[in-house]
Amino acid sequence: MSYLQLLRLASPETVVVVTTLVVLAIGLRNRQSPGLNILVAVLGLAGACAAVFMLPRSAVLFAGMLVISPLTSLFKVICLLLAFFTLLMARNLSSRNHAEYVGMILLATIGLMLLVGSEELLMIFIGLELLGLSLYVLAAFEKHDIRAVEAGLKYFLFGSTASAFTLFGISILYGMSGTTALAAIAQKLAGMPIEPLLAAGVVMTLIGFAFKIAAAPFHLWAPDAYQAAPVTSAAFIASGSKVASFVVLGKIVLIGLAPLHGSAGWHAMAGGWMPLLAVLAALSIVIGNFVALVQTNVRRLLAYSAVAHAGYTLLGLVAGGREGFSATLFYTTIYALTLLGAFGVVGAVRREMGNDDIRDFCGLSRRAPLLAGCMAIFMLSLAGLPPLAGFFGKFYLFSAALRAGGNHGLLWLVALALFGSLISLYYYLIVLKVIFVDAKQETAAVAAPQLDLLQRATLLALAGAIVLFGIMPQTLVSRILAALA
Amino acid sequence: MIPPFLFWTFALLLLVFGAAVVLNRNPIASALSLVISFIALSALFMSLDAFFIGIMQVLVYAGAVMVLFLFIIMLLDLRAEERRKINVVATTGGALVALAFFAQLYLVIGQLRIASQPFAPLPPKTDDVRNVGALLFSNFNLPFQIIGVLVLVATVGVIVLSKRELR
Repeated sequence: MSYLQLLRLASPETVVVVTTLVVLAIGLRNRQSPGLNILVAVLGLAGACAAVFMLPRSAVLFAGMLVISPLTSLFKVICLLLAFFTLLMARNLSSRNHAEYVGMILLATIGLMLLVGSEELLMIFIGLELLGLSLYVLAAFEKHDIRAVEAGLKYFLFGSTASAFTLFGISILYGMSGTTALAAIAQKLAGMPIEPLLAAGVVMTLIGFAFKIAAAPFHLWAPDAYQAAPVTSAAFIASGSKVASFVVLGKIVLIGLAPLHGSAGWHAMAGGWMPLLAVLAALSIVIGNFVALVQTNVRRLLAYSAVAHAGYTLLGLVAGGREGFSATLFYTTIYALTLLGAFGVVGAVRREMGNDDIRDFCGLSRRAPLLAGCMAIFMLSLAGLPPLAGFFGKFYLFSAALRAGGNHGLLWLVALALFGSLISLYYYLIVLKVIFVDAKQETAAVAAPQLDLLQRATLLALAGAIVLFGIMPQTLVSRILAALA
Repeated sequence: MIPPFLFWTFALLLLVFGAAVVLNRNPIASALSLVISFIALSALFMSLDAFFIGIMQVLVYAGAVMVLFLFIIMLLDLRAEERRKINVVATTGGALVALAFFAQLYLVIGQLRIASQPFAPLPPKTDDVRNVGALLFSNFNLPFQIIGVLVLVATVGVIVLSKRELR
């Protein structure tokens, strides 16, 4: 292993690091040009994307610290894409430190790529911290806004506590198995009974990931971070961070802890991570959906619905196997795209109305038909109505969960998830009703949200992707399945 | 191996001064308590024959990091914290959770077979520094370099969040 070889295999990450440094350098010279920062950053992301395509088909470095496989390459591209869309929305941030904001998004992207591309606990932890630290800064970036600072601080305190637990858990796993590479851990644990210490290690390791995906009861930071952080930061926290966390969580439980799966079937409960994740999923679905019912702020509503969606997505991991994992990966990707779009619309409304409560969306269909139409697509996809991508994602998840576990063991969880989806339809439709039906007296006084061409194109592209993946899901599913083979 | 009474002394020092960090209302006293708890921790490491980590603990944490801490506290001229009303529900809840966690760990470790066996002695001549260095630049090269990026995040983040805006 030479440095040159390392540089070649880690070239996507290297390109993003160099881009970050260039953006920060531009920010030192020139504080007035958000456009230039974003242009450089987008070029860098494109370069990184090209570097991903030039990687060899598969390679493993340092016992799994850097794994290159079709799966990691696919998700590196998806992470870069999510960062790209986030950057396009980041133009309107009114801060003198715009270059640093863009730089932070790029640094967080490096964290995403490392998380996605690693099968070794030490590296995963470093990726988790890199991502986490950048996101804390992004959440608190508008420091003159006291609520954004509160959100950032809350996110930081919860996040660092969760990281501490994860690190403790990882150290116990390391102590039990003598290695930090996931595949080697699985080999060591294969014959072992589930001792109390091992169980404690597994539970503590999973806490950090439950925090990252905002699964109940580790979701308390999410409402504040989604509502009060700058819109772009919230969008990135809700999309990129979630996708990478699900990929790496799936790898940890399905590769590293594979021998300890246990069972979550109602007639065959057995200790392991499956019942653990099943409990997290059930709690998330119930708490997320019921609390979302009473929200009056769109971003807070999206946060609680995010908790519920984390629950649905966990279903695929509880189902396990190639099919379950691919369902999880498909759903989380679709969800990330949808939420980016929804936050894009919220950001546009917020710029106009100064706030993003549900009543600020009143009569949006007349003021800005394009925004209203896009929002309708995003909301209906989140609710899971055909023919949008959200419907197929849920269908795929639920059918994978039904088939897994033998003798319909996961029926209870699927029934709960279906019930949750039914409830969620109500609050998504409330938002749409306000947008399309409710008229407001002072509608005429408010100008239509101003959107430049680029932002219009971004929203349209995201909405188009949701429709397209709903009609032709196999384009993405077949890729994920092939990558998992 | 050190005599047990030394172990108990250092462990007690570590815990008492660790608690003092949180309980002290004066930031300088907190920082100095942290120094002492670091030194006690390093003594515990050395009692396990982990001399390199022990020395690092003193040099890096007690030496460099804490001196910076003290400088910052003095530069910012932080005063003793105001006495705050204690939220009874939150405090008891937190204490219960912490206690439950402690009890669980205690039971788990008590059940463990390895915990009741004495450690196998290390080979007498381990060249800690050389080994750590060699590993850092071979097997752990990638994480080592990524830590550099992590430090960049921390630097940029701190400056952005703490800089006074010139308007």
